[in-house]
Amino acid sequence: MKNLKSYLESGILEQYVLGDLSVEEMLDVEMNALQYPEVRKELEEIEQALTSYAKSIAIEPSIKAKTNFLNAVNTIDQVNNSSSANTGESYIKSLTFYKYAFAASLSLLFLSSILLINLNNKLNESYVQLAVLQSNNQKFSNQVNYKESELSDTKNALQFYQNPAAYKLVTLKGSAKAPEASLLVALNEDKEEVMIDLSSLNMPSNDQEHQYQLWAMVDGKPVDLGVFDAKNDSTGMKKMKFIKDAQSFAVTLEPKGGSLNPTMDKMMAIGTI
Amino acid sequence: MNLKTKTTLSEPELVQAILEKDKNGAEALYDMYSSSLYGVIFRIVQHQEIAEDLLQDTFIRIWNSFSSYDAAKGRLFTWMVNVARNIAIDKTRSKEFRNSAKTEDIENNVLIIDKQVNTIINPETIGLKDLIGKLKPEHKIILDLVYFEGLTHVEVAKKLEIPLGTVKTRLRNAIITLRKLFN
Repeated sequence: MKNLKSYLESGILEQYVLGDLSVEEMLDVEMNALQYPEVRKELEEIEQALTSYAKSIAIEPSIKAKTNFLNAVNTIDQVNNSSSANTGESYIKSLTFYKYAFAASLSLLFLSSILLINLNNKLNESYVQLAVLQSNNQKFSNQVNYKESELSDTKNALQFYQNPAAYKLVTLKGSAKAPEASLLVALNEDKEEVMIDLSSLNMPSNDQEHQYQLWAMVDGKPVDLGVFDAKNDSTGMKKMKFIKDAQSFAVTLEPKGGSLNPTMDKMMAIGTI
Repeated sequence: MNLKTKTTLSEPELVQAILEKDKNGAEALYDMYSSSLYGVIFRIVQHQEIAEDLLQDTFIRIWNSFSSYDAAKGRLFTWMVNVARNIAIDKTRSKEFRNSAKTEDIENNVLIIDKQVNTIINPETIGLKDLIGKLKPEHKIILDLVYFEGLTHVEVAKKLEIPLGTVKTRLRNAIITLRKLFN
């Protein structure tokens, strides 16, 4: 600069420090301050002088002014923090949280529905299986009952063969009316039992209005021992009435329920003890 | 917060603390500069309650727009006192302020205030206060018009009906006197 001295004395540096310059003039002064140490030094001295001037006229403000300012700074910082952190980030955070929570809930609902449908199907299947099992069970228990009755029949029948001394077995043979007919009657005098073996029964099947009647001949007189039906699939032993001192057994075909006296011309089978 | 003892930091430490929004920085800022800035603001608005409100505004503006301070371009106090002066001068130019202070003659009041506030002045600066009296009145009036009323050199020249060059010279001489007194 040609005329540094007159620049320093122009008063522009005082104006700069007092903030009384346009932006262009300020930039010019700043450029010169960087370039010329004298300008920088002059500016510093002006600043120092005006600072001291301000200090010389300093007045202590009231104590509440300090409290007010520090409270205001706290409030400003809180507002800044809350506006950036709380209302901003955490709002977005909570929004994101709810978004994910909603999505998770929907997924759970979907999953639960599938599971529920699945379970319901399985439950229905189980009901069907249970019904099948119950009917099977019924079938088995029927079968067991049937087998048990069959077994007891067989046991009853077996005791004649296991204990031949106790039973007298009388085979009744077919008469002229029914030459093929045969019937086994078991007699136990000690137990006072008379039984017929339906398994080995070989008699023509009777119709609905008639039944066979078993008679015992005691001293030449016929004594009623009860009625029975002849069917192809009959099994087991049938217990009849007992009479002492029977000499022979006979079977006649009588009206249903039996007759008081045997119809002699319907004599089907006879056997002597 | 400590109201009795004052917090002071070196200027670089204070700048760093304010930039970091450190609460100690706020307290040091206030303790170190409140009386100087309040003195300037009070002389501009000449009303205690308004001056304290404006001091508050000044500190808050300093706190909030501190990033616009460039340490390379000048001292912290120069920047702050210009913030305070701008806020206070804007206030005096507002309609409401002019209406309320219509009857008062600000120029004449400056001297009265100087006498009034003597008693509450910082004891450390009482010596400096005496030195101000050594400014020539024709120098001091220009300094006060520029410094406290925010008039430009051109406006001062018009107001005092003196040439612009004379305004510049007298202002410079006023500051040179201050430099001699203080530096």
